[in-house]
Amino acid sequence: MSPDGIVAAEHVWKRFRSDRTRALLRDHYLRFTSRLRGETAGWRWALRDIDVRIEPGEAVGLVGANGSGKSTLLKILTGVMYPYAGRVTVTGRVGALIEVRAGVHPDLTGRENTYLFGSLLGLSRADVTRRFDDIVAFAELEDAIDRQVKFFSSGMQMRLGFAVAAFLEPDVLLVDEVLAVGDAAFQQKCLDRMRGVLAEGTTLVFVSHDLEAVEAACRTGIWLDRGEVAVQGPIREVLGAYRSRVEEEASTDDSSGPVHLVSTTAEGATGGPLRSGKPAALAFELRTEMPLQGTFHVGISEGTATPMFTIQTEVDLGTPGEHRVACEVSSLPLPRGRFFAWVGLFDADGRDLLGWRPATAFEVDGPDLLAAPTAVVRRAPLLIESAWALDDEPLDR
Amino acid sequence: MTVADDLTDGPPPELRFRRRVSLVASIRAVWAVRELVRTLAERDLRARYKQAVLGFAWAVVPTIASVVLFTVLFDRVAEIDTGGATYALFAYFGVLTWSFFSNCVNIGGNSLVGNVAILNKVACPREVFPLTAVVTASVDWLVAAVTGVLLFLVLAEAPHVQVLWLPVYLALQLTFTIGVVLLLSSVIVFLRDLRHALPLLLQLGLFATPVVWNLRSIQGGGRVAYAAFNPLGTVIDGLRSTALLGHSPDWQLVGVSTVTSVTLLFFSYWVFKRLEPGIADVA
Repeated sequence: MSPDGIVAAEHVWKRFRSDRTRALLRDHYLRFTSRLRGETAGWRWALRDIDVRIEPGEAVGLVGANGSGKSTLLKILTGVMYPYAGRVTVTGRVGALIEVRAGVHPDLTGRENTYLFGSLLGLSRADVTRRFDDIVAFAELEDAIDRQVKFFSSGMQMRLGFAVAAFLEPDVLLVDEVLAVGDAAFQQKCLDRMRGVLAEGTTLVFVSHDLEAVEAACRTGIWLDRGEVAVQGPIREVLGAYRSRVEEEASTDDSSGPVHLVSTTAEGATGGPLRSGKPAALAFELRTEMPLQGTFHVGISEGTATPMFTIQTEVDLGTPGEHRVACEVSSLPLPRGRFFAWVGLFDADGRDLLGWRPATAFEVDGPDLLAAPTAVVRRAPLLIESAWALDDEPLDR
Repeated sequence: MTVADDLTDGPPPELRFRRRVSLVASIRAVWAVRELVRTLAERDLRARYKQAVLGFAWAVVPTIASVVLFTVLFDRVAEIDTGGATYALFAYFGVLTWSFFSNCVNIGGNSLVGNVAILNKVACPREVFPLTAVVTASVDWLVAAVTGVLLFLVLAEAPHVQVLWLPVYLALQLTFTIGVVLLLSSVIVFLRDLRHALPLLLQLGLFATPVVWNLRSIQGGGRVAYAAFNPLGTVIDGLRSTALLGHSPDWQLVGVSTVTSVTLLFFSYWVFKRLEPGIADVA
C-alpha cells in the first residue's frame, strides 16, 4: 500500500471536440454521416503526455496561460474528468478547493448551504456539525449565517465555501483559483490556513494566475504550456521561465505610436555585468517622428507587465530623430536572477507616445533572494541591505 | 494559440485509458455518498417549498385536482368500467403512481444537465443526481399517499386487507422508474433536444398508461403483453385490484413486469456507466 497523499499522472492525454460543442440530435446525425463519408471528427488535445509525480507533503504550483490545460489536469486529478489515455493515481482523501458556488441554492440559508457544501466536498453531516462554529467564525459570517444566501455578497458566498473546505483535513488538497474573490484580509487568512494545512503534511496542488501567491505557497512548480509540461522543478525556476515567456510574447507587439524604441542596454556602471547592490546603468535609444515631450517610465519586473518598481523622468525630444535616454541606479536592489525592463513614454494627458512594452532582459549577479516564510506572499523580490542587532549586540549575517 | 487538430500524434494505443467498472463497487460507491443524496434532496425540497405560501400543500393539491378532474371527466362523461370500485379512488391510484413516475422522469431526466455546475467540479458518483430526484419524488409520493388516506375517509370507504401487498408493487414501480431515470438522465446529456421531447412523451404516457382507464379492458394475452411493455400498468392495476376490490396480486402480470423492469434497470445502469466518463466533457 502506498502512503496517502501521492498524486501521480503517467502519460495522461485528454482530448476535446474542436467542432461545435452543442449536443443535439442533428449534430450527432451530421457527425455520424460525415464519419460514414470517411471524414474524421475534429478533436484537439487539451493535455498531451503529462507525466507528473507529487510526493506526500509536497506543495506544487501549477501555472500557465489561459487554456493551457491547468484546470483540465486538475479535474482529471480530482476524478471529475477521465483521461483519454494514461494513468492517474491519487491516494488518500482528496479535497478540492474549488469554486462550488454553483451548488449553492440562493433560497437556502447560509446554515443550510454549509451542510450542502460539506456534503459536496465529502464531509459527513456529523463532521460539519462538529466544526460548524469554527467554519462560521472562519468565514466571519456569524451575523449572516441564518440569512438566505441570495442576500449574501459574492465575497460572503466565496468565504463560506472556502471556510467549509478549509476544515476538510484532506490528504491531498487541490486548489483552483479561488483566492481571487476575497478581499486582501481574507486572502491572507486563506494563505494562513493553507500554511497550516501544509504543516500537517498535506499534499498541495495550487493553480493560480497570482504567481506571487503560488511562489509563497509552493516549493516546486509545473508550467503547463498548451497542454504539455514545459518546465517542472523548483518554483522560482519554473516561474522565471514562465515569466520570460510572458515577456517574449509581449515583445512581439509592434508599436504604433510616434515614438519607437530602437535599442536598450543594461549593464554595470563600469560596463561590466550587473551586480546586486552596485550601481547600474540603463540606456535607451528612442526614435521619434515629431518633436514631443512626455514622461518616460521604466519598470523592472520578473517578466510580466506588472513591475516591482518604476522610475521615471520628464523628457523633451525637441527634434525628430534618435535620442538617447540614460539612467543610473545608484544601488541595484535586485537579487541574483533574470529580470526585465519595461518602458513607456506618455504625454501630459496620459496618452501613449510609446506604449508600455518590454525593452530588454538582463541578468543580475549577486546573492540569492532570501526566502520568505511559507505562505507569505512577497509581491516584489527586492534585495535590501540590512544590519541587525539582538539585545544591542550586532548580529553578523 | 492553436493546438494541433490532427490526431496523428496521439498516444500509443496501449496507453488508452480503460475504466474498469464493477457493479458491486459502483453500488458501494453510491451507498458511501448516501448523505450527499440526502442533503441534495433536502436542498431541492426546502428550496421548492420555501418560497411558496402554501408550502407542502403543493404536494397535495395536484393529486386532489387530478382526481377531481378525472372523476368529473371520465366517471360522469365517459363512464369507465372500474370493476365496481368508486371512480375517485380508482383514479386516485392511477394518479398516485403516474405522478410519481412523471415527477421522477421530469426532475431526474434533467438532473445531470441541471447540476452541470456541480458535477463539473465535484467528483462523486453521478448516480447521485438521478437518485436524488427519485428521493425527492418519493417524498411527494408520501404526501400524496397521506392524501389517499384522507380520500378513503371522506368517501367513507376502507381499503381491503389485500392492500398489504403494496410493498410488492412499490418495489416494482421503483425498479422500473429508476431504470427509466438512469437511462434518460445520461442520454439527455448527449442528446439535449430530448429535454424538449420529454413533456410530450409524458403527456402521451399519461394516456397510454391505465391512469384513467382500466387495464382490465384489455383482454387475455394482450394484457400480459401490455404488462411486459409497461410495468406501471401492472402497478396501477395491482393497487386497484388489491386495495379496492380485495383480489390477490395477479402474479402473471407482476412476473412479466418484474422481468422487464429488472432487465431495464441493468441495461440502463450499464448505459449510464458507459456514458459517465464523458459527462463532464460535454456538460
